[in-house]
Amino acid sequence: MDELMAARSLTTRPVVTLGGDAVAHVKDTVCDAAAGRITGFTLTGRGLLSGPLKEALPWQAVYALGHDAVMIRDRRGLVDAAAMTAHQQNLRLRLLGARVVTGAGAEIGTVLDVVVEGGTGGRIVGFRVAASRRFVPSPARHRRRVYVPRGETLTVAGRSLVLPEDTVRHVADDLPGFTALVGGVPGRWRSSLP
Amino acid sequence: MLFTEVRGLPVLAPEPAGGGPIGTVSSLTVDVGPGSGAVSHVRFRDGRFGREKALPWDAVDTVGPGAVRLRSAAVLETPPSHHDLLGRRVLVDTGTEHGTVLDVAFDTRTARVLALFTTRGELPAGRLLGLGGYALVVRAG
Repeated sequence: MDELMAARSLTTRPVVTLGGDAVAHVKDTVCDAAAGRITGFTLTGRGLLSGPLKEALPWQAVYALGHDAVMIRDRRGLVDAAAMTAHQQNLRLRLLGARVVTGAGAEIGTVLDVVVEGGTGGRIVGFRVAASRRFVPSPARHRRRVYVPRGETLTVAGRSLVLPEDTVRHVADDLPGFTALVGGVPGRWRSSLP
Repeated sequence: MLFTEVRGLPVLAPEPAGGGPIGTVSSLTVDVGPGSGAVSHVRFRDGRFGREKALPWDAVDTVGPGAVRLRSAAVLETPPSHHDLLGRRVLVDTGTEHGTVLDVAFDTRTARVLALFTTRGELPAGRLLGLGGYALVVRAG
């Protein structure tokens, strides 16, 4: 399985051609309606004062999404930003802050960040969630942050994400633990919920 | 030979033109294509504050020992665009960094790059993909 990364950490990652030139920085991630995969990135210029670019990067043009850079073949893969964001919204507008509930209606929390798989797939594999008290009891004043897998069947209803019951049976506390969780590796990270 | 060994060598004019030094090597320009790299230009300076000039590889007769000797004095006053390999960031095509280039070994007869030495280990020339202003891109091993 490719490295998992938080979508917020993709912002400011350079977009580099296979020829070694950096053409832009990632501004935001765009995903499809079912929150299943990345469909592209909006971009900002490389300079200190350069603003958002009129071009955007569709996922088809991405060669690989890596830890230090988004690799593309060449500049020709970039498309008009308005065309790409016409039907799809970026993650910030669409998912961040959305409520996560189970099919039975149990409140899980609100989305803080989206976990995506690097490499060539661009899958959305889970969410970082500020857990509601009932879902994960926490002694402190703050709500606990947990990683929740996306599962196979997720429904997006307005600003709510409805997850199947059994995908939230296991959650992880950090990204390495979450990698093990969705990779199916057993270990001590696994905290079963009552 | 290594790039760091060539850097600083005197550039000697061809024998008919006297054979005297016309500058010292400041860097080597490399053409990087998929799977290979070759030195295309030798850049040199006359004195510390002299302007940088370039010589096409065809003009070079021998490199080392102790000097770069020229076959013809076809000096380009306006050097072609150049990305120095030494110190350049190395990116694997999967989007992960792989240190920076410390040194490059090349064949002084054919100008072909043989291997790169990075802060994270050696890379064969066959893994080269492209060299640009941001990074040297190499194929995943």
